[in-house]
Amino acid sequence: MNHREDEKLKAALKQALPPMADVELGRDLWPQMLRKLGEQAIRVPWWDWTLAALVASSFFFFPKAIPVFLYLF
Amino acid sequence: MNTHPYLRAYMAGIAVPTMLLLAIMTAFTIARHVYDVPLPIERVIVFPMAIVPNLFGLWNILYVAMGSGRRLPIGFYGALLPFVLLPIAFTMATFLGFLSFTPTALVWFEILHIPYVFLTIVFPGTVAVYYLIWKYLVGSLNELLGIA
Repeated sequence: MNHREDEKLKAALKQALPPMADVELGRDLWPQMLRKLGEQAIRVPWWDWTLAALVASSFFFFPKAIPVFLYLF
Repeated sequence: MNTHPYLRAYMAGIAVPTMLLLAIMTAFTIARHVYDVPLPIERVIVFPMAIVPNLFGLWNILYVAMGSGRRLPIGFYGALLPFVLLPIAFTMATFLGFLSFTPTALVWFEILHIPYVFLTIVFPGTVAVYYLIWKYLVGSLNELLGIA
């Protein structure tokens, strides 16, 4: 490929991919990002933690119940 | 996104038990093939594989169909499902031959003797797990799909 062909290819590429008109962001996204990071996705109240702990401990004390539980899910 | 709310409700409903099925299948397979527990796995798995996900889907459709004005909180609504599911589960298990009743206990898979007193733990436990699953998993999927 000689120099002239190089130039032709460059011109063809420039023509096919015109420069983007507006590359700047319309607004600052960082405050939105900070707000999102500060949000807690799911709030789990203490009574739900207690319930989950009770169920988990019941598996420990009554392992025979585990297959029956599995059958129901 | 206001189209096909019942289809989205069905999909949100079946997603959770379908994912849990992987863990259940693994547990049953290990019990059967590693620990040689005589589980008739092909008969046992029908209920968690076919009935439970579909019931979750239908239950969620019913929840969406009720309209936001008449709905219970989703956790409590999900906690009602075992009242429908358990009779079906016990009936199927009896007919498929891996649950029998003796005067003192339920016999699962011909080896697990579960005294009737244990049902006072199994049933509330199931209700509690269903409450948590519906509140945190199905509920968040419903929100994600815009049908909460």
